[in-house]
Amino acid sequence: MNRSAVARLSAAWLSSFVGLSLLVGCGPSKLQYRPNDLHAASLTREGSDQDPRSVAKKASELVEQWFGTLDDPKWPGKELGADLEAVRMDSVSRCAGPVGRGVDKVERGVFRKHCVSCHGLTGDGLGAAAMLVEPYPRDFRRGTFKFKSTPVGKKPTRQDIHRTLYEGIPGTAMPSFRAIDESKEFAHDIDDLVEYVRFLAIRGEVERRAMAAYVREGVELDPNSGRLKELLNQVVQKWAASESDAIEIPEPPAYISSAASTSFDSVSASRDLAVGTDGLDTDGLDNGQHVELIKKGQSLFESELTACVKCHGKTGTGDGASQDYDEWTKDWTILAGIDPKHSKDWKEMKPFGALKPVLAKPRNFHWGAYHGGKSPSEIFKRIVLGIEGTPMPPVARAQNGNPGLSDEELWELVYYVMHLEERS
Amino acid sequence: MSSEAKFNFVKLWAWLSAMFIFPLIWVGGLVTTHDAGMAVPDWPGTYGYNLFLYPISTWLYGPFDLLIEHGHRLLGSWVGLLVIFLCISAWATEARRWYRWACLGLLAAVIAQGLLGGFRVVLDERTIAMAHGCGGPLVFAYASFLAFASSSDWKHAWPSIAPKGLWRLSWVLLGATVTQLVLGAQLRHALPSTTPVGFMSMVHLHLTFAGVVTAAILGVWFLVRRNPYSTEPRLKVPANALAGLLVVQLALGIGTWMANYALPWSETAPSLARYVISAKGYWESMLVTAHQATGSLLIAFSTWLICRVGRRQISLAQNPNSFTIPQNASIVGTARETQTTVGQPVSAV
Repeated sequence: MNRSAVARLSAAWLSSFVGLSLLVGCGPSKLQYRPNDLHAASLTREGSDQDPRSVAKKASELVEQWFGTLDDPKWPGKELGADLEAVRMDSVSRCAGPVGRGVDKVERGVFRKHCVSCHGLTGDGLGAAAMLVEPYPRDFRRGTFKFKSTPVGKKPTRQDIHRTLYEGIPGTAMPSFRAIDESKEFAHDIDDLVEYVRFLAIRGEVERRAMAAYVREGVELDPNSGRLKELLNQVVQKWAASESDAIEIPEPPAYISSAASTSFDSVSASRDLAVGTDGLDTDGLDNGQHVELIKKGQSLFESELTACVKCHGKTGTGDGASQDYDEWTKDWTILAGIDPKHSKDWKEMKPFGALKPVLAKPRNFHWGAYHGGKSPSEIFKRIVLGIEGTPMPPVARAQNGNPGLSDEELWELVYYVMHLEERS
Repeated sequence: MSSEAKFNFVKLWAWLSAMFIFPLIWVGGLVTTHDAGMAVPDWPGTYGYNLFLYPISTWLYGPFDLLIEHGHRLLGSWVGLLVIFLCISAWATEARRWYRWACLGLLAAVIAQGLLGGFRVVLDERTIAMAHGCGGPLVFAYASFLAFASSSDWKHAWPSIAPKGLWRLSWVLLGATVTQLVLGAQLRHALPSTTPVGFMSMVHLHLTFAGVVTAAILGVWFLVRRNPYSTEPRLKVPANALAGLLVVQLALGIGTWMANYALPWSETAPSLARYVISAKGYWESMLVTAHQATGSLLIAFSTWLICRVGRRQISLAQNPNSFTIPQNASIVGTARETQTTVGQPVSAV
C-alpha cells in the first residue's frame, strides 16, 4: 500500500491550510476613515514643529463628530447655518458600511462593493490597487473633479459624476457602471454612489481646511469653533450650489452633430470621412467646406490663444514640449517645497501615503479616446472649462465683452479635434 | 462474478463528487467576483427559510447576487450528498482501508468548507471568505485524488520507469499551484484596509509564482517527452493537459488584469486606449472567474500527474526486477494485456 504517497498528499494539504492561515492572519475588525497624513505632512513640513500624524488624527476626530463613521455616516445639519441639501443621506447610508443585503433584502455597502479597491475607504485614492493603475485613482478629499460642466473652482454637478460612473474612462481602470445601471435590482447604485462621492469629497475637504486652519491660523480643532463651522458652511455651500454653476453649452452646428453620429460610431466610418474624395462628406459638407473648417480649426489649435500645441503637440498626439504634474501631486510636492522629479525628496513623503509622482499625460487625439467623454458637447466643455486639477487650462471664451474665442470658433476647434481621430 | 465485473459505485461517486465540485468552485468564484457573499444575510437558512425550501421563483427571479449565493449553497449541499454516497459505497465495498478513511476525510473537508462559508456569513468576515476561497480548490484537488485513486490506472499500474526528476518536479508543481491559489485569493479577497504597498507586493509574488508554475509545467512537459518516458502515454496525457491549461491560464491572467486594472500601456494602440472596462460586465466577470477556476484545475491536474507518476514510482519500488519499458514500445491496451507480455501487475493498493 502506498501509504507514503497518501501521507505526502495529506501533508501538502495540511501545510497549505497552515500556510493559508498564517498568510491570512487576522484583519482589523473595525474599519475607520484614514486620517489625511499626507496633507498634514505637507502643511507642517516647513515652519511647524507639529507631528503630522497627530495633526491628521485630531482633524479626523473632528470630522468624525460631524460626518460620523464609515459604518454610520451622519450629516452635520446642526452645525450648518442654513438647511443645505448638498447630499442625500438615504443614498449615503446605502453606500456606507460592509457589502451585503439586510434581512429586508435592501443592498448596502455599495461603495465598498464597487469603488473601494481603488479609491479606498476614505475616498483618498489609496485603495489596495492604487499603485497598479494609471492614472492613480482620484482622491476625492481635495474636492477637485476633472470632468464637469462647471467652471474651474466650482464643484461638479450630480450629472457630471453620474456621467463618469455610467460611461467609465476609456483606457484606464475606471470602469463603466452601465451594466449595473441597466439591471433592475441595481438601478439605484449609480445615483447612490454619486451622493456618496459628494459626501466623501465634502468630508475630506472639510478635514483638509480644518487642518490648515489649525496649522496656519492656530484654530483649535473643536467642533464648536466658530471658524471651523464657517469653513464647514463654505464647503457645503459650494457643493449645494453645484447644479446652478453648470454652464450652458450652445447648440452645436449641424455639421458637428452629423460628424459625431457618423465618425464616432465606428472607426471605419470615420476613415471614410477622412478620405473625402468624392466631393461630399458623410457629415453633409462638401469637400471644400470640410477642408475650410479643418483649416480654421487647425489654425486655432496652433494659435497662441489656445496654446493647444504646447502639450498636445502640433499633430495632436500628445507629444508637446510642456510637461507638468496634476494638482493632486503638486499639493504635496511643489506646494510643500518638494521637487517631484527627485526621488530622494518625494520619498520622504512616502510614509504618509504619497505615491510616486507621475506626469500628467496630454491626450493623444488620434486615438479618439477622450477621458471626459467623446460627444462634441463634452469636448466643447473640456475646451472652455479646462480639466480642473490638471495642466489643461480653459480656453478664453468671448462672452460679456471679454476677449476670447467665439462659440463658432470653439465648434471649429471641436471639429478639428474630432478630425484628428478620423485622420488616424 | 468477478469483482471487476461488478459496477464500481465508489468510482462513480468519486468522479461525480470531483466533477460537481468544479462548478461549485466556479459559482463560488462568481460570488466573489460579484461580491455577493453577503447577498443572503443568514445561515444556514436563506432569509428565514430552510435552505432547501426557499421559494424557487424568488431565487431564480430575484437579484443576481442572491441567485448565485443561494445557488452556491444548494450546489454545496448537493456535493455534500454525493460525498456521503461515496463514503457509504467505500465503506461497503472498497477493499483498501486507507481509501475508506480518505473518503471520510473528504467528507470532513467538505463539511469544514461548508462551515467556513457559513461563518463567513454569520460573522460577516472577509478574512474567512478568503480562507473559504482557498479551501475550495484544495477540496477539489482532494476529491480529484480520490477519483484518480479509484481509476483502473491506479489499481492496475504496471511497473515502469518513473523518472525521479519528474516525481520531484510534480511535487514542486503542486506546491507552486497551491501557493498561487493562496496568493490569488489574497488579491481576490483583499480587505478594504489593505495598503497599496501590501497589495502590490502580493501582485509581484503572484506574478513570480506564475513564472514558477510555468517553468514547472514546461519542465514536466519536456521530461515526459524524453526517452524512455516518451512511450508512456499515461504520463503524457496529464503533462499535455497541464501544458494546455497553462496557455489558457496565462491568457486568462492577462484578461483578468485588463478587466480589473486596464493595461498600463493602453496609450499605445487605439483599441486599448478606447477600451472601457465594464464593472460587473458579463465577459469581465467570466474572465476573472475563469482565471480562478482554471487555477483550481491546475491544482487538480497536478494531483493527477502525481498520482500517475507516483503509482509507477511505487510499483517500481515494489517490483524492482520486473521490467523496464523498451524504447519505442507503445503501452496501449489494458493492464491485463501488458501483464502477460512484459511483467507483473501491481496489486491494487
